[in-house]
Amino acid sequence: MRQIHLQILMLMVLTCTYTTWVYAATTGEQWVAPAQEKALRRAQAVVPMVKEVKQEGAIRRSQRLHALGVSVRDVKDSYFVLNSPFIKAVEDHYGAVRFNHGQHAAESGDCTICHHLRAKTATPAKNGDKPLETQRCSACHQQAFNPDYPERLGLKAAFHQRCIPCHEQRHKGPQTCRGCHLNNVPDHKKLVKLPDNADALQVTAECLRCHETAANDLQHSAHWLWRGPSTHTQDHENSVRHGKGTTALNNY
Amino acid sequence: MQIKRRNFFKLAAVGAGSVVISPRPTRAERKKAGDSFACLVDTSRCIGCRKCEQACNEINNLPEPARRFDDLTVFDSARRPDARRFTVVNRYHSGRIDDAGLLVADYVKIQCMHCLDPSCASACVTGALSKHDNGAVHYDVSKCIGCRYCMMACPFEIPAYEYHNPLTPRVMKCNFCEEQFTRQHKAPACATICPTEAITFGKRTTLLQLAKKRLAKYPARYEQHIYGEHEAGGTAWLYLARVPFKKLGFLTLPSNPLPRLSELIQHSLFSYLWSPALLFALLGGIMYRNRAKNDSGEGHKQSGGVS
Repeated sequence: MRQIHLQILMLMVLTCTYTTWVYAATTGEQWVAPAQEKALRRAQAVVPMVKEVKQEGAIRRSQRLHALGVSVRDVKDSYFVLNSPFIKAVEDHYGAVRFNHGQHAAESGDCTICHHLRAKTATPAKNGDKPLETQRCSACHQQAFNPDYPERLGLKAAFHQRCIPCHEQRHKGPQTCRGCHLNNVPDHKKLVKLPDNADALQVTAECLRCHETAANDLQHSAHWLWRGPSTHTQDHENSVRHGKGTTALNNY
Repeated sequence: MQIKRRNFFKLAAVGAGSVVISPRPTRAERKKAGDSFACLVDTSRCIGCRKCEQACNEINNLPEPARRFDDLTVFDSARRPDARRFTVVNRYHSGRIDDAGLLVADYVKIQCMHCLDPSCASACVTGALSKHDNGAVHYDVSKCIGCRYCMMACPFEIPAYEYHNPLTPRVMKCNFCEEQFTRQHKAPACATICPTEAITFGKRTTLLQLAKKRLAKYPARYEQHIYGEHEAGGTAWLYLARVPFKKLGFLTLPSNPLPRLSELIQHSLFSYLWSPALLFALLGGIMYRNRAKNDSGEGHKQSGGVS
């Protein structure tokens, strides 16, 4: 009886998920967080390339910004999505990297670690009192191998060369490729083939058609094998070996 | 007009002398302008991600490797480019240590160096291998007869052969993604994919300047040498490294183009076929002289015999 209850519950969950997914797929509506939307819009923007930079050493620059009163407190946007068309035009292997600008500023405490140089003529601020001392990475770093600026790194290399050594030295943040990059997920609208009124088992079978490795991995994970005391399960209050790995119903 | 023997020898000697005195300029000298394309590999930037190997495999439609490209345990043994992979990255421990006293690895990508004066093209008997003006050492399978002289000649041991394919075997080596930059104005696949721009693509003169700037700007970071600037007469692929190149498996090579000596001998001996012509002229002259002697000698003998 209890197993049937569980099965019904599982069916309901799956049906709800599937219905939501079908709704999203058919109406094309997807809720996006406002910050995410703003970051995505910002990522698409292309600013004119900075041709000449003000040559100054790292320490001199850090001191000058300190004297000017420019600090991490001036950070306006705290969340970016690194999804520049400069990179996407050349390759499209990964999903966009989420970059927490505010957190990085707070952790490092020094703008000049990343904003290492600026344009020769500082951009006048729109409404503030200070001229802008920092610019976005893609203002200087755009396409790779630009013959006019051979020593200028492309945007992708500028990101990697700035991020990787710092994460390694500070032992903070992701230190593997997968820590920042997720694979591009292909559009499943074309991949999934299901009859109109598919039942839960059909949906599961359709997922398994491609994701067999993921299913096998799952069967060796705690999600599939968990067991333990179940003090809050009726009739199993004293059981110490209740769980998916033993008595409960297994399902995806 | 009759050409006398003495005059003929004089003419032949002058002809031979002019050939020997004015050796033809080598390809490297002809292309010294350096407007050809090149790549600068900064091994200090390489993080050993093997993305270049993957991109190379994909763009050249090479067979799927036995171990996946994200499997970094392949670095445990040294590898060479072969018929199934045009480029490999190897890991070296040169003894460099980090702040914590741990060994730091150096990664080196190897592929065809696209020499300015390639030995393979010099050794190729059919002209299947040729140096293009854009910098690539091009392989034309339709001309190849499979003699594999190129494999013997290459100082970097790069050309590989499809031994597993008995009917239509090809010599396999990096093609510099020539079509990428001639038709689509794109960098080679490995350079494009490299996440840290360890491979910079551009004109050779520009890259040499760039490399020298890096050496001057970060003297502690680099070994003060650009591998490929002069090695084997210069190569289109240039390398920078943190440690002496010897420790990273690079060969120490002379700075003159390797085919120069053999080409000098071959070209000065056989250009316009002057040496065989001279040889046969000499032999002909000797025969002519002997015949003339014999004619008179035989006549004498015969007359003697009759009397």
